[in-house]
Amino acid sequence: MTETHIETTQELDARGLLCPMPVIKTSKAMKTLEPGQVLKLLATDRGSIADIPAWTESTGNELLDWHDEGEFLVFYVRKGQET
Amino acid sequence: MAVQEKLVIMVTHGPEEPELATIPFAMAGAAVASDVDVVMGFQGEGCLLVKKGVAETVAAPEFAPLGGLLESIVELGGKLLVCSPCVKSRGLSEDDLVEGTEIVAAARFVAEVTSATNSLVY
Repeated sequence: MTETHIETTQELDARGLLCPMPVIKTSKAMKTLEPGQVLKLLATDRGSIADIPAWTESTGNELLDWHDEGEFLVFYVRKGQET
Repeated sequence: MAVQEKLVIMVTHGPEEPELATIPFAMAGAAVASDVDVVMGFQGEGCLLVKKGVAETVAAPEFAPLGGLLESIVELGGKLLVCSPCVKSRGLSEDDLVEGTEIVAAARFVAEVTSATNSLVY
């Protein structure tokens, strides 16, 4: 199992939510953060594996890391400067 | 400065086709979450989806329920436009529609589509 040590500002539990709610919830949560701060996202929707990188790229945020915990997925998203 | 993206999504299927009714909302939800301006246009049976209380009754397998999607889209600035003749022919009036829904006619839809960076039709 990957052990990731990234300092996070906020955690968003999107487990159980279906497409596209993890992205919508992530977008809302990121608006409350300052540039450079990191959101930890938990999700069970496997579509998030493709969706979160696409979303971070199109919105100027940065996906620092992600891994599969088996029961759920974990993403670390850093807020960009111009979002 | 980057051009502000604007996506117009036309919806022509209603509660009788839950998947085809839900997919445009999923696309709209992802778009507003990506800071894209979104205009949803409802025509034909699609206009029933903005009748008060209907969205909450529609759900397609493996998609988020339509009611919550609609709420999020409006909350994040998505606009809802509905076809005037389609509304009238179904005996509906403005009071029957989800708050914020605008009743418009063909020329407004054309103006929205021609000023958009992209459009989708379902």
